[in-house]
Amino acid sequence: MPRASGKGYRQRPLRRYGFFIAIAGLLALLLLQTSPRLSEGVEPIRTAASDQLYHVTRPSLIDRISGASAKERRILELEARVRELAQYKALALTMAERLEVYEDILNMQGEPGGAEVTARIMAETDGPFAEALLANAGATNGVQEGYYAENDRGLVGRVVQVGQRSSRILKITDFNSRVPVMGEASGLRAIMFGGRDGLGRLTDLPEQDDFLPNERILTSGEGGLFPRGVVVGHVRGKTDKEVRVDLSMLAGQLSYVRLKPTITVAPPEAFPVETEVADLGEGDGS
Amino acid sequence: MNSLREIPDWLALRWENARPRSRLVIGAFVVAMIGLVGLTPKSFFGVPLAWPYVGLIAAVGWGRSGLGFGPMVFLLLFGFAQDASQAPWGSHGLANLLTYGFSAMVTQMADTERTPVLSFALPVVTLLFGIGLVWLTASISSGHFVRVAPMLTAYFATLFVHMLISPLFDLGTQRHAMGGAGR
Repeated sequence: MPRASGKGYRQRPLRRYGFFIAIAGLLALLLLQTSPRLSEGVEPIRTAASDQLYHVTRPSLIDRISGASAKERRILELEARVRELAQYKALALTMAERLEVYEDILNMQGEPGGAEVTARIMAETDGPFAEALLANAGATNGVQEGYYAENDRGLVGRVVQVGQRSSRILKITDFNSRVPVMGEASGLRAIMFGGRDGLGRLTDLPEQDDFLPNERILTSGEGGLFPRGVVVGHVRGKTDKEVRVDLSMLAGQLSYVRLKPTITVAPPEAFPVETEVADLGEGDGS
Repeated sequence: MNSLREIPDWLALRWENARPRSRLVIGAFVVAMIGLVGLTPKSFFGVPLAWPYVGLIAAVGWGRSGLGFGPMVFLLLFGFAQDASQAPWGSHGLANLLTYGFSAMVTQMADTERTPVLSFALPVVTLLFGIGLVWLTASISSGHFVRVAPMLTAYFATLFVHMLISPLFDLGTQRHAMGGAGR
């Protein structure tokens, strides 16, 4: 084969000119970027280009086939959630410390705690007669009748029967369940019972005022069956006759529940101040 | 089975008859694909893999057919795509184009077809030239000499991949024409 003579190069110098112009242009571009202001100007282009390339190439084909991409995405989601929760935890710890200080300043009496038990739900009966749960904690674990149960989202029910190793919890979705509740914002009181559609129904509503739309519903603590302030749900909607409540516990898991005693504060007459009265009597006599 | 055996022959015949512009587009497509895969995380049993500078492979291969506007445009585009990571704009394009010009110059000056040693040495030298340019621009832009070891592993990866896919960057133009295939 004949050796190249370079004749083509001489005949078509335009390509060579183009080549050198391109080289000069690139060198000029590189030099221009030594200016910080110009460099900052082109940075958004780089960011946009990087984003586009990132979305095109991630996850890789191998990851898509092997399913690793789905796992990786899930891990990223969970990591983001953990980071978010860590922020909340830090905030909660700070707030708890502040609350303790405020309570000390105000000389506020704290509520006594009780023995709490976490129990696993072994069986669930959603029959036509009663909606109840069977938990694997009973009298030997310290559970007593009247304990209330809550999951990670809110109130689940109340312990109505206790055996040695198990207990039965009547869910708040049961028709026969009655929970004294109140609106968190409006402060209105009512009684909630379970409906057939899995929603709570409010009865004994106040005549003058209405619950607010989407208002959070908490236990009112009246009657002493449940402590005050446990989350029950939020107002879903109102018809002519009744207010319906979306129950928070249904959004959480029902495999494990926390059984807690309802701490009631004894009335003053239960523990009268006898010593002071005696002292006063003695003073009058003298 | 016979039909399966005929596939490489059929492909070789099609490649032989392909026009320079088609060959250029196919080569560009291969570069784009390898480049895109290169952007994803790569590891082999937990060991991160070095990825070749496939733009340089194209520059060396296309440079053998002489200068042309088409390859120059593609090499510039590949350069800008490579710059999207964190390099200064134009640095990879400069390395690609200079390697392209260097390959064209060496091919014109030396009779690589009659001298097998040269045909072997040409890509070794030109790719080293290209990688050296990337190292130089990275060092200049960062203000200090960047590490050589990663560049060397990338160089060997580039050389290895070049041996596998270099025929795809033969534009098939006659030497005496030296016109490239871009136009």
